Amino acid sequence: MYLLEHAMLNLGKNKGRNMLLLGITFAIITAIVVALSIFNATNLVIEETRTSLQSAVRIVPQMQTLGETGGTGGGQMITGQAAQNQATFTAEQFSDFANSDFVLGWDLQDTPRGTDAVFYLVSPLLLSDFEAELREKGLPENYAVRTDEAAFASIVAPVESLQSLAITFLAVVVVLGGVIMALLSVIAIRERKYEIGVLRAMGLKKRKVAFVIWAENVIITGFCFVLGMAAGNFLSQPISDNILAGQILSNADGESTATTLAERLASESADALSTENFSENLQIDILINATTALQILAISLLLASLVGIISVSQITKSEPIKILMERT
Amino acid sequence: MLALKNISYKYEGTTRTIFKDVNLEFSPGKVYTIVGKSGAGKSTLLALLSGLDVATGGEIVYNGENLAKINRNHYRARQMGMVFQSLNLIPTATALDNIVLSMNISGVGGNKTRALELLKTMGISPEKSRRKILKLSGGEQQRIAIARAIAHNPPLIVADEPTGNLDKETEGKVLKIFENIAHEQGKCVIIVTHSRRVTTIADEIWHVEKGIFRRFDGNVNAPQTQKRRRK
Repeated sequence: MYLLEHAMLNLGKNKGRNMLLLGITFAIITAIVVALSIFNATNLVIEETRTSLQSAVRIVPQMQTLGETGGTGGGQMITGQAAQNQATFTAEQFSDFANSDFVLGWDLQDTPRGTDAVFYLVSPLLLSDFEAELREKGLPENYAVRTDEAAFASIVAPVESLQSLAITFLAVVVVLGGVIMALLSVIAIRERKYEIGVLRAMGLKKRKVAFVIWAENVIITGFCFVLGMAAGNFLSQPISDNILAGQILSNADGESTATTLAERLASESADALSTENFSENLQIDILINATTALQILAISLLLASLVGIISVSQITKSEPIKILMERT
Repeated sequence: MLALKNISYKYEGTTRTIFKDVNLEFSPGKVYTIVGKSGAGKSTLLALLSGLDVATGGEIVYNGENLAKINRNHYRARQMGMVFQSLNLIPTATALDNIVLSMNISGVGGNKTRALELLKTMGISPEKSRRKILKLSGGEQQRIAIARAIAHNPPLIVADEPTGNLDKETEGKVLKIFENIAHEQGKCVIIVTHSRRVTTIADEIWHVEKGIFRRFDGNVNAPQTQKRRRK
């Protein structure tokens, strides 16, 4: 207990040095809060999107089969003519398809090429059973039942970009922040070499000296954790919105220049079936839940402990008599 | 209580021998003073006795145990109190904190009331006790260093020039305290000093020169060469 009291007293002694450490630690923890909360939120969005979209299926033309029947492109190529020549289904046919034990509900949608439908399955695992049932009801071989990959990709691509930015930022912050904290701490401890020599000469064991230094680091980190959580909570939503908006724009640009005609036609039905563009309205709610808070606390404490170990190991190598003689 | 058996010492990385085959014995209830010129090895002897340094030959035995083989942190914390020549107080802490911390390290528990009383007997007022060390005079710092050494009531007290910064009146008070600790409380007090006045409270005076200890038997003009044991 007296070691903790001594650590607390030490924190109040050198205010300049400790304020600098406090500022740096606060900045690092805030950055960790922002990066980790965005990373966890994007992870959640991707998982939720995957779960929800895997239950939503549609009837889509099979590229290879259509290419062969269209005859203009040959092989796996599909042309606009070929796609347009394909018969679409009527509302009655879709209604018949939807009349299944595997389907929870369905939406009829108007597209430039006619009517299309999205079926919501009881479970994503029933996809093959549902497709088999549709074949029995007369679904031609050149059509397949597929999940909404296009919608999934349109939502997930910018989120994944945001996620990789967040994880890269987190790694940089942890590594660079750790190095800066370690350097500052080593300098701070060197200033206190004499004090540590005196404590050791009085019989304080190395591990107890280390505990005092560690406790000081942990107290600073704990204080910065509270402040950093508040600041990070405040900053992460606007930062996430900003980066995400940029990612959506850059994804849209990339798509418009890179998509070939065939790819565009292949995804056309999917886009057309969507009543809204998911990614344009995409919003990620950054909420710091208990798991994220614990992860941030664990990373912060780990950093504080590593920094403490590095700085203490510098000092406890020397015997107290040498430290005191240097001073004398 | 404490015995040096054929102790040799030379500084690391040098060939200069400070001591060779030194044999000394220190008993409880006595005050010992060690005198000699600067550089004769008095402070080195105290570093060895306090377990801060280890002899390069021979052994120091404390209560039947070789000091080199026991936990010297425990020995320094509980069995002895040391007054350093350069005081070695924690400069950023208050006088009171220095004493309380020493009591805590030794395991007797930091009792602020007892620490304040002790400081008071050393002539440090409660108001000054709460000042930081750097805001106290050299004499006051020296008295705080002495208070720190005796705060945890150790059986052995080792002091390096403990009265160097004190005026005559305070020096007299401090010497009375050392005398009392040894003769009434039965502790062993070893003092390195240049002060003739300090030797007046000594039960044994040892003079060290070129690594050889000679005992004065009450007459500083008639040194008696210490017998060396042969291996």
